[in-house]
Amino acid sequence: MTSASFITSDEETRMNKGLPPVVVETRSLRKTYFGKIDVPVLFGVDFRIRKEEFVAIVGQSGSGKSTLLNLLGALDTPTGGTVIINGVDISTLDEDELAYFRSDQVGFIFQFHYLLDEFSCLENALLPITIRHGDASEEDQARVIELLRRVGLGSRIHHRPEEMSGGENQRCAIVRALANAPKIVLADEPTGNLDSRSGQEVFRLMREMNRESGVAFVMITHDDRLAQAADRILLIEDGLVHEISKEEHRKRVASLVP
Amino acid sequence: MNVLLRTFVPRRFRFETQLALRHLLSGGGQTVLTVSAVAAGVIIVIFITSLIFGLQDRLTELLTDAIPHVTITVEEPEPRPLARITDGSELSSSRIEQQAPQLKFIDNWPHVVETVRALPNVRAVAPVVSGQAFVSKGANPIGTAVVGADPDLQNVITPVTKDLISGKYLGLRSDEIVIDAELAEDLDVTTGERIRVTSGTNASDSFTVAGIYSRGQGRGSAYVTLRTGQSLFGYGTSVNVVYVKLINIYEADSVADRIMALLPYEAKSWTREFPQFLSSLQVQTASAYLISAFSLIASGFAIAAVLIVSVLQKSKQIGILKSMGTRRRQILRVFILEGLGVAIVGSLLGLVVGVTIVLLLSLFDQPVTRIGQTPEQLFPVRILPFYLGLAMIAAIISTVVAAVLPARRAAKMNPVDVMR
Repeated sequence: MTSASFITSDEETRMNKGLPPVVVETRSLRKTYFGKIDVPVLFGVDFRIRKEEFVAIVGQSGSGKSTLLNLLGALDTPTGGTVIINGVDISTLDEDELAYFRSDQVGFIFQFHYLLDEFSCLENALLPITIRHGDASEEDQARVIELLRRVGLGSRIHHRPEEMSGGENQRCAIVRALANAPKIVLADEPTGNLDSRSGQEVFRLMREMNRESGVAFVMITHDDRLAQAADRILLIEDGLVHEISKEEHRKRVASLVP
Repeated sequence: MNVLLRTFVPRRFRFETQLALRHLLSGGGQTVLTVSAVAAGVIIVIFITSLIFGLQDRLTELLTDAIPHVTITVEEPEPRPLARITDGSELSSSRIEQQAPQLKFIDNWPHVVETVRALPNVRAVAPVVSGQAFVSKGANPIGTAVVGADPDLQNVITPVTKDLISGKYLGLRSDEIVIDAELAEDLDVTTGERIRVTSGTNASDSFTVAGIYSRGQGRGSAYVTLRTGQSLFGYGTSVNVVYVKLINIYEADSVADRIMALLPYEAKSWTREFPQFLSSLQVQTASAYLISAFSLIASGFAIAAVLIVSVLQKSKQIGILKSMGTRRRQILRVFILEGLGVAIVGSLLGLVVGVTIVLLLSLFDQPVTRIGQTPEQLFPVRILPFYLGLAMIAAIISTVVAAVLPARRAAKMNPVDVMR
């Protein structure tokens, strides 16, 4: 676990020449859900994720994994502390700026693909661009079609989500998350709704995209084998985030098996 | 579709327009429902306005067709109390007595006719002698109004020829008379027979019945030539009234005012003679507007309800769109554009169906109830382009207003809440 620091990501990056730049940093990040009963979820979370990294977030159900991911993606606002993405403290942004920021810097992949039924595979994958610019340029289209080919959807670009399998839809969702060339992709159990073969295929593609483009991936997963295949593993427990080694993770998994 | 979008929609609205279009095209039953609600509103408005304003036109036409639009007479002298004409030195009390009918001459009627004819919007000017007389054949004189006028002019003021069931009016000779069918029945005469006419001044003459007409509005006047009228009522070469027929009947007031300003006579427009008729028209107009407004409000509520359901159904989609950087106002635009699409298609559909219904209704005829009557429309509908346009614009506005609430609701959705 990285301790809180008061120097900015940029300065740090310059100091640590040789290491890829930090794309996400949290400082004493706290989140409490207020209601009839206030539910504290995160108690002060500090960590950094660098470009090119593929990070798995593990933890029990209800431990706050999705909450953390929503905070990283600027979908939710923290109760305390800050999230810095690519050098920008996102708590300083208003709603429109956050929307702009998300379309520029962040890609999301959810457990359900959430593709729009009314649009074809290609149109869905182009959405981050069309939302931002009104429509997609020829180059954007060519780039996204190439990405779709890469994930094996070359023959499906004009199909609607209902005409494709769950795995195909999720692969389309991966391309959509990458369409705007974001700095970071946040994936909330991207394989959770797929059979194991499709799940592995989706994971393999994510890993491939991560290696090729250098975009950082943060993936919540319950699949221990997928966690093992990540670069780093962050464990959320009791409202705090601990970085654990793969060895430690293996032991924890093994201890659960009777 | 995409080509149209690229051609007509500015780039920054293309995403919203495209999404709204796709929602509508894939909306199925919901789209059909909302489009039908708008169409129903427009149909009701078109139907009501065509029927009520058509009916009003018909009533106004019926009323004004047979009457002069402006009537020029000699001003009634104002009764003056005695105190005002004496020097006030003597104590006097005065009571205003009902004035006895007097002969009121318009001596220089050629000048009146000339002046009025020069005014704009005037179709015809007829100098007329009108009075009461008794008509008899043998025994039992029957009272009737008699109009002495040049048939060619009078026929424009009150179309007698149109209502003739036998004989003629145009080309009437000085010893001929045209009478109402009811009077003919009471006197038991037909065309060609002779009747005697005795005026209030006791002048009497006998006339050949040249024509019998029926207007279906109670007993009408008897018509003689101007010269005959003048001698019958003792007017010499004068007349007592000048009738004016206008091109635009709704400008009767202003024409009457101008005549009063130009000539020393009293000029009354038909609207001043039938104030209750005009006020009943206003009540009808107000009810037409009220019914129209209520039907549009009702269809607005129906549309809002369906759109709210559709927004709730799409909440996950709204969530994912927001997570991808869609701004509030973009979501707002999507759903308002949807409302606009529904409004445009619905009002066009309503226009086509509404006009078709009105045209079909106009084909029905009333059963013929009196002799010589040409069959009239059962529903005197009028297709009025102004109200067609108004119905469409009102429907479009009310639909877009109805879409605002669901759209705001959609825009406010928080992606974290809706995608759990």
